[in-house]
Amino acid sequence: MVVTVKLSKVTKTFKKGKRNVEVLRGVDLVVERGACMGVLGPSGTGKTTLMRIIAGLEVPSSGEVYFDDKLVSTSNRIIVPPENRNIGMVFQSWALYPNMKAYDNIAFAVKNKGEETRKKIEEIAELLDILHVLDRYPRELSGGQQQRVALARALAKDPSILVLDEPFSNLDARIRDSARALVKKVQKEFGVTALVVSHDPADIFSVADVAGVLLDGNFAQVGSPLELYDSPVSASVARLVGEINELDGVVEGGKLRVLRGVVERRDCQDGNVKVGIRPEDLRVSETEVQGMISLGKVRVKVSSYTGSSFRLVVSPLEEEKVELYVNSDRPMPINSEAVLLAKPEKIKVFKNN
Amino acid sequence: MSEFGPTVKAFLHQLILAIFVVIWLIPIYAMVINGLKSEFDVTSTPVFIPPLHPSLTAFAAVWSQLDVPLLNSVIVVIPVSLVATFIGAMAAYYFYLLSVSKRRSLNFMSNTIFSLIALATFMPYQAVIIPLTRIEANWGLLNTYGGAIFAFILFYIPTAALLMSMFMAVLPRDIIDAARIDGSGDLRTFFRIVVPLTIPGIISTLIFNVIEMWNNFFIPLVLFNVAKQTLIPVAVESFTGGYGTLYNESFAAAFLASIIPLLIFIFLGRYFIRGLVTLGTGGKGAV
Ligand SMILES: Nc1ncnc2c1ncn2[C@@H]1O[C@H](COP(=O)(O)OP(=O)(O)OP(=O)(O)O)[C@@H](O)[C@H]1O
Ligand SMILES: [Mg+2]
Repeated sequence: MVVTVKLSKVTKTFKKGKRNVEVLRGVDLVVERGACMGVLGPSGTGKTTLMRIIAGLEVPSSGEVYFDDKLVSTSNRIIVPPENRNIGMVFQSWALYPNMKAYDNIAFAVKNKGEETRKKIEEIAELLDILHVLDRYPRELSGGQQQRVALARALAKDPSILVLDEPFSNLDARIRDSARALVKKVQKEFGVTALVVSHDPADIFSVADVAGVLLDGNFAQVGSPLELYDSPVSASVARLVGEINELDGVVEGGKLRVLRGVVERRDCQDGNVKVGIRPEDLRVSETEVQGMISLGKVRVKVSSYTGSSFRLVVSPLEEEKVELYVNSDRPMPINSEAVLLAKPEKIKVFKNN
Repeated sequence: MSEFGPTVKAFLHQLILAIFVVIWLIPIYAMVINGLKSEFDVTSTPVFIPPLHPSLTAFAAVWSQLDVPLLNSVIVVIPVSLVATFIGAMAAYYFYLLSVSKRRSLNFMSNTIFSLIALATFMPYQAVIIPLTRIEANWGLLNTYGGAIFAFILFYIPTAALLMSMFMAVLPRDIIDAARIDGSGDLRTFFRIVVPLTIPGIISTLIFNVIEMWNNFFIPLVLFNVAKQTLIPVAVESFTGGYGTLYNESFAAAFLASIIPLLIFIFLGRYFIRGLVTLGTGGKGAV
């Protein structure tokens, strides 16, 4: 039975010697039945801790955790222990049982061991393309295969929730994309509520319907991945969700001044602000371009090729210290001069802190 | 070290290994060859020179007196080490569970009981042998297998638990958590995961227990007072008589007494190393 996961004001404090470290500070979270939620955050913000609290492996210092309307954890007390929560979990380390073959690893989680179970495990293995390695030990599998065995183990028992802790971090870039696509497909196919934790925004964009950014023990922003990318609430969120150029700007009477450019911004209060512009919203050109505003003349410092497009590093002529990343559809000679253009509606303005 | 070629390095390794093997084999060698000497030869020839006319008389003479104690030792030591190791492993796993428990009271309990066990291990058993003997005398357990078994169980379960705790400590936490998530109870996790993963530890503990119990002199000395009905270390000691020592018979007795621990080590040692290798590479995906 797939469930809705609800966290209400969950805090978690660890004792480190004499010191108390507050890792989670009143986290509120709802993951709707069948939805896939992505959690982004820098290392050490408590992503794993949050997963472990949901799984019942860690007890919240205060607050409540509900599966549907059932209270499963509350302040310093685990009401439904992990073995009864019916969770499919892929650990950051995968945690396969080294003494069991892949098949037994998957079957370990399933209660009844009949012919039906065998069929089901083989079906899942087929889907994950590990059918031919089921009689191997984990040490005889490649990293990608181990990860898929871990995923199969999590799925085989018809979990109420699927919890994936950095499931792609140990995979090499080549199989990472197919693994992401696979997780997405499997999650939708099984219709299971899922939580995916990662510090790589690409993971979240490829699998999550909703995403949250965990910063300093709380969600700084929750929304669709696109929302987080296009309208981040703060510079830190913007930085975590994708690459961004950060500049200083001034707002005066509804006009934002950044570098040599001026943009209409009626929604901002006057004063000094931080300005964020993603590399794909910038362009260098010799001529004016329809719908883009000029930020002044720049000099090209670096020009490199990044697989599908070119990446430039440029500096304004009068401010050599400032460097901006710009995507470009063609290479540019080093030290050449050009005009820097930006899509005005994509320029993000954050409060100065 | 890099100026040595790989062959030289391998040769040095083998050489060092060989030296250690020789050092360890010397006592066994001495036991065997001196046991094969006559009563005259053993005192008149150097210890490391083999006899000119080997004879089995000393072994035969000794065997007739050691057969019963040997059997007694086997009957007492082997089952008790198995049981002690098994219970010790279970206890160690229980402590592991308590120590990772989320309840502070359980954590505290774990520490307290664990300290008690460590104390029980490090306390010299000589210190409590008198009350133990009185208890056993009251229960009519002196001179019985039951009495020796009871005493050994009492003294060696804590040792096994302590040893096994060290092996449990390196169990990957995530794997135990994964088993819980997979709906496995403590007992199932213990038999299906903990035992297979700590086989090297279990076998080491078993070997340690067998050897310790096998060589334990004091406990059978106190708990048995019929000369021929005792355990092997006491029986061997009786060859060092008060009126002079028959060295060839002493050597033969010592050799017979050490055969069983030796065999156990030779056979289980293989599994021990194999288990170690499996664990070392098997944990690849599960750090
Ligand atoms: N059992 C524990 N005892 C004490 N402190 C802990 C414990 N578990 C986690 N912490 C601390 O809590 C903080 C959050 O840890 P957590 O593992 O949840 O981070 P994370 O977001 O998953 O990081 P990463 O991206 O590196 O996996 C860290 O500072 C960590 O040191
Ligand atoms: Mg983590």
